[in-house]
Amino acid sequence: MPDIIKVKDMTKDYGGGNGIFNMDFSVKQGEVFGIVGTNGSGKTTTLRHLMGFISPDSGSCSIMGMDCREKSAEIMKKVGYVPGEIDFPDVGSGISFLKIQAGLMGLRDFSRTDRLIDMFKIDVSAPLKRMSKGMKQKTALVCAFMGSPDIYLLDEPSTGLDPLMRDTLIELILEEKKRGATVVMSSHIFKEIDDTCDRVMFIENGRRLDIVDKAKYEAETPGIYRIGFMSQEDCERFVDSTSFRISRSNIQCRHADLVEDSGRVSEMMSELSDFRIRYMKYRPATLETLCSSELSSVK
Amino acid sequence: MFSLPLFKQSIRSNWVLWSSITGVMSVLCAQFAGLEMTQSLLFTIFYGMMTVILPGIYVLVTSNKLISGQVDRGSMAYILSTPIKRTTVVFTQMVFLIGSLAAMFGIMTLVHLGINAASPITLATAMGNGELPVQGDLTSKMILEVNLSSLLVCIALAAVCFMFSGIFSSSKYSIGLSGTWVGVSILANMLAMFGRLGVKGLDNFKYMTICSFYDQNSVLNSGNEWIQKLIWPVLIAAAAFTVGTVVFKKKDLPL
Repeated sequence: MPDIIKVKDMTKDYGGGNGIFNMDFSVKQGEVFGIVGTNGSGKTTTLRHLMGFISPDSGSCSIMGMDCREKSAEIMKKVGYVPGEIDFPDVGSGISFLKIQAGLMGLRDFSRTDRLIDMFKIDVSAPLKRMSKGMKQKTALVCAFMGSPDIYLLDEPSTGLDPLMRDTLIELILEEKKRGATVVMSSHIFKEIDDTCDRVMFIENGRRLDIVDKAKYEAETPGIYRIGFMSQEDCERFVDSTSFRISRSNIQCRHADLVEDSGRVSEMMSELSDFRIRYMKYRPATLETLCSSELSSVK
Repeated sequence: MFSLPLFKQSIRSNWVLWSSITGVMSVLCAQFAGLEMTQSLLFTIFYGMMTVILPGIYVLVTSNKLISGQVDRGSMAYILSTPIKRTTVVFTQMVFLIGSLAAMFGIMTLVHLGINAASPITLATAMGNGELPVQGDLTSKMILEVNLSSLLVCIALAAVCFMFSGIFSSSKYSIGLSGTWVGVSILANMLAMFGRLGVKGLDNFKYMTICSFYDQNSVLNSGNEWIQKLIWPVLIAAAAFTVGTVVFKKKDLPL
């Protein structure tokens, strides 16, 4: 698949260490691409560049071969966007907002919009000002998804949603992916990134740390077993004698985290059979563990 | 270049203030033109001050709401996430601002024309002194000319507010500078009016306000000076709208 979004060596310096620096990545057509980082790490700034709201100090970004800033109106024909901050125009009710947006998009068929409104269970006759944060977020989501765009740029799309709605959103994203749409989403909720994204980019302080392929990290990231021992003495003896790597141990609490990375589970079991075990807990490799290890490697 | 859906959105967001200002202006106009007691003040007070102050309030609030307010709130993101160019946004909002002002003056002019047809006043009364040795009545042509002149000055007033709205992404700067601009213009206009009425020393304030390009005396005297003076507000409006558009097109938007 060809690259549909290209960001090359893009820098936007807001001074005082804020901004993004030498941002470089590309997104393939039909891919769901996640951007993960702490607050203020540059996720929104990156998306604002892609939307053509701001121009980079140096470097470039393009969508479908068109410069994001110069050709933004042209690009927007194919893009659905959920902004990070939700504040609607002063136009009264939710439905009048959606109608005006549809007008601006040139959208005539309202059947998909109705389906989305149904799906997210929004009362669109309510005045925008009176809507709760979650309602506003859902209205913004309908607005982004109703035009069936080819590309989605979603800035923390699940903010304010309840867990059930979050699952609805994940389903919707997967549905759009199946249709062939490209999605770039920023988030700090690992579950939705884990469930949807093909590749994930970690950023911190405006710099790209790493891009990981989900298929790869799932296969390669080692599993971690937390093992609780009957006594402190057992625990200490195990930590000293084991052939496995111990990522963390706490003698006082009588447990140790063991890293198992090359299918040596039965070997681990036989080693453990010499000790009195209280419990054993498997912690699968998730994006969260990967992210915290990425972030701690920076610090 | 022009977006009808955006135009509709602007009507939806701004009709309340527009209606009330238009209503107040029309009622005041009817009162000043219709009641004998106030007829002599029609041009001094109503066309001298009200036709600047009331639209001044309207353009101050509305021009800020049309661009800067939406950038500040972040709602501009929804407009710009559709296939609409920034220049189209500015142009459409500009058309709305000018159009709504024109409609405001249009309605008020119709009211005045109606009342003047029903109970015409003499030119001498219109000039503020029934004893003046001038012949004839206030004609419809004069009413149209005065309103056109006043409208163009208000458009220039609006254009400068609109320019600030386009330049600043933060409402507080946009509305602060626009407020200063409108406030100084209105205040200097009032002081200059006292100067014209005979208070020496206040006369020089006429050089500090754009309202001086609005010359009702020339209209009432059937002169042509008022037309030449209107070149300036037109130029100021064109320059301000251009600056506002160019800056808004180029700048970074914190959306």
